Amino acid sequence: MRLELDAVSKRYGSATALDSVSLSVDDGEFFTLVGPSGCGKTTTLRCIAGFESPTEGTVRFDGESMAGVAPESRGVGVVFQNYALFPHLSVGENVAYGLRFTDPPGGGTRDERIAELLDLVDLAGFEDRDPDSLSGGQQQRVALARALAPGPNLLLLDEPMSALDARLRDRLRRQVKRIQSELGVTTVYVTHDQSEALAVSDRVAVLNRGRVEQVGRPRELYHRPRTRFVAEFLGENNVLDAVVESRPETGGIRVGVGDAVFTLAEGRRVLGQGGSASGDRAESDGRDGGRPARPAPGDELTFCVRPEQLRVGAETNRVRGTVVDTEFQGATTRVRLDWGETELVVAVEDGGEESAAGFEVGTTLDIGFAPASAHIVE
Amino acid sequence: MSRVSVRRVVRVLEQRLLTLVAALTAVVLLVLFYYPVATVFADAVLVDGRPTVEPIAAILTSEFYLVDIIWFTAKQAFYSTLASLALGLPAAWLFSRFEFRGRETLRSLTILPFVMPSIMVAIGFVATFGRNGTLNRALSAVGLPPVELLFTLEAIIVAHAFYNAPLVARVVTAAWESVDARTVETARSLGANPRRAFRDVVLPQLLPSIGVGATLTFIFTFASFPIVLALGGFQLATIEVFVYSRVRDLAYAEAASLAVIETVISITLTAVYLRYEASQRSAGGAANPLPRRSVVPSDWTPKSALRTAGIAGYALIVGLVFVVPIASMVLASVTGGDGGFTLANYAFLAERQATGASFQVKPLPAILNSLAFAAGTLVVAVPMGVVMAVLTTRRYRGRGLIDVLAMAPFAVSGIVVGLGLLRGLVFGVDVLGTRIRVTGALAIVAAHAVGAYPFVTRNVAPLFARLDGRLVESARSLGATRTRALVDIELPLVWTGVVAGAAFAVAISIGEFDSTIILAEGAGSYTMPIAVERFLGRRLGPATAMGCLLLLVTSASFLVVDRFGGRWGEL
Repeated sequence: MRLELDAVSKRYGSATALDSVSLSVDDGEFFTLVGPSGCGKTTTLRCIAGFESPTEGTVRFDGESMAGVAPESRGVGVVFQNYALFPHLSVGENVAYGLRFTDPPGGGTRDERIAELLDLVDLAGFEDRDPDSLSGGQQQRVALARALAPGPNLLLLDEPMSALDARLRDRLRRQVKRIQSELGVTTVYVTHDQSEALAVSDRVAVLNRGRVEQVGRPRELYHRPRTRFVAEFLGENNVLDAVVESRPETGGIRVGVGDAVFTLAEGRRVLGQGGSASGDRAESDGRDGGRPARPAPGDELTFCVRPEQLRVGAETNRVRGTVVDTEFQGATTRVRLDWGETELVVAVEDGGEESAAGFEVGTTLDIGFAPASAHIVE
Repeated sequence: MSRVSVRRVVRVLEQRLLTLVAALTAVVLLVLFYYPVATVFADAVLVDGRPTVEPIAAILTSEFYLVDIIWFTAKQAFYSTLASLALGLPAAWLFSRFEFRGRETLRSLTILPFVMPSIMVAIGFVATFGRNGTLNRALSAVGLPPVELLFTLEAIIVAHAFYNAPLVARVVTAAWESVDARTVETARSLGANPRRAFRDVVLPQLLPSIGVGATLTFIFTFASFPIVLALGGFQLATIEVFVYSRVRDLAYAEAASLAVIETVISITLTAVYLRYEASQRSAGGAANPLPRRSVVPSDWTPKSALRTAGIAGYALIVGLVFVVPIASMVLASVTGGDGGFTLANYAFLAERQATGASFQVKPLPAILNSLAFAAGTLVVAVPMGVVMAVLTTRRYRGRGLIDVLAMAPFAVSGIVVGLGLLRGLVFGVDVLGTRIRVTGALAIVAAHAVGAYPFVTRNVAPLFARLDGRLVESARSLGATRTRALVDIELPLVWTGVVAGAAFAVAISIGEFDSTIILAEGAGSYTMPIAVERFLGRRLGPATAMGCLLLLVTSASFLVVDRFGGRWGEL
């Protein structure tokens, strides 16, 4: 099923929870809404499910407006963060609840359908158990089986993993993703965890203060964030405010940050005319049509460089900083440098037990980055 | 009709059912509560169809009304509140800070006085403090002169404390148990001694609940009727009693004006109370409650001995106030004039049943009427209360107004509702040229239901509020209509509250006195409390016997509903 949100706004009194959100989710797609708490992602989900009705705008399922359609008539499966299993019903009865109102899809009996779904979530034989006797991860899988039992057109997952510990979360996430692609059910996933969003989604919408900041494939968002918010929200990033100094014949842009001067390659974002350059889905963004294509000397701009793009001893765009602190993270070590203007985070690949030598607090370090690895944001 | 279209009709009905019942509840409230109350107000401000302030002004400028009635009403309510606090606060201390056998049981028993028919409690007090009551018998047995406590302010105050001290104990215990021990430990580690820590940390957390208990007590005792009528007579009359006496004299305008003044005061107090309550609703059990100690100290120091003696003395007073009146009533019902055991009082009731004249009060119709009205109340009040609970636990525009409108019956006395029903629907109302009249029996059920449903709501609403809204949302996304979600998911989860509310409704209906005495006409509609009051006016013996029957029926109904519901709750 294809899901569309057309300029959906939701206001509570004078507070705006959603501000003209437009999205479109393809049939069978795993689509994620990500953003900090209060960004409107859960409100969006509730408007889709029909628990809230938009103040303005339209939600469409396969082109059909859902205005005035009750939640029970939408054919939507919902899984909540706290599972919301019916405590007075057994696991089997929970899964069977949706089958009270519709015949089991696939033509089998109700019991066959329950067994099939419990099997799907690796809980075969749990029919008669009490939901309270299950672990959090098991409860979450029952909730998933319950939501899928009536064969929904759309699966909505509202932070389904956030109550679980990290290891379990990773495993369950893969399982959800596997089941979703097996069944091919269109899925909208809400999370505040950006790494989760990048890991499982076909596409991701980043929401901030009730607005869509950017929609795109995970790699696209990571490497070419359109706004400062997206650049800072997804992964770690060094975001720098600069002033354009000149545009040399040899190409690129020379910008100044304080006393330092950097050369940036002109990325597609800067050269291209508006949103169509940013990705293959112009309909979902396209707010940047009026942006000047070529920054002129004196213009202010903001660019970002990922920590892993900053290299110790690189030839270009060199700056010297003092180590403020280090965090060992396994594959890499995050080194925080004070460089006069601001702090920079450098990810240094770990080279074994003794490799941290030279990164002690207080030592100076020369780092730099390739012009092409910087990315200009709005 | 085909099966599919039947299904569709059922579904549409289901989708609208909740709205429908809510609308029905609103209509019932409008017709059976707001309209009657408005009738009373109209009686007070309309003379021959013209608006006037004369009746109310006459009362507010009369020294008799201002001093003897209104001031006395406030005064006795104030003293009653003090007495209830004095009797209830030590109980809260014991319940929350001590461990002793039967603590949980005793704590749940504190709900009982609330559902006891007030006229029965009044009988109990007459049997205890009357000229030939238990107290004077005990005094004369040890050679002391008798005391006259009946028809004094003191008797009224003690009886009010019987009702309201348990209430104070309940709310304050809940607050005390939710005090986090870590806050006290923090204060101690910062240098406060135990007394200082209590004053600075514990007391501020208790004060709101003490305020709630005191305000509620004041509201209830301000509008107290049967207790004052039986223990004070017309010499010590509260507004409520005087309204009743005016109604008996058919002085409706004066009665209405007094009732309006009382209602305005009560509603103001209730509004204050609701505001108070809202600000401290979050109180739940603390994760780390204060530790309990044994009532019998492990090592005897002068301090611990004093404490134990104090607790023992308090237990004695509690026994005197709570157990003795009920025991006295039972005892008096089987005691003859010579002090020996007799069943004459019950024989009198049986004889009256067999040979009584039609104008005389017979026991059996009273019992049957009480049960019938209780059943009627159950049928009306439980759905109303449940729907109100659903409405008052959801967020929507105008929710505050609904809360107040729905809880208004709490603040308006039964006398006013009864008077309004009598002057309106019972006497007859012209609607579009047709004269509509309801019988006294119907009006009584209406008045009982209006008085009882807030208790259903109050029992059910907290459980609804604790339910995760996502349960209903999950059910709905799985295809259940709002009504189906209520029936399949919510009701099974709040069932204990519904049962408790139903038990309350039955007990309140059986014990209701205020509106019943105004609406009961002839043999068709008098109830057991009315019968008790009629007997009380003439002779104590049969009244105590009738009171014992009332006690029996009330307890039995309460238990039956509770038991019946308990069994269903397990399904």
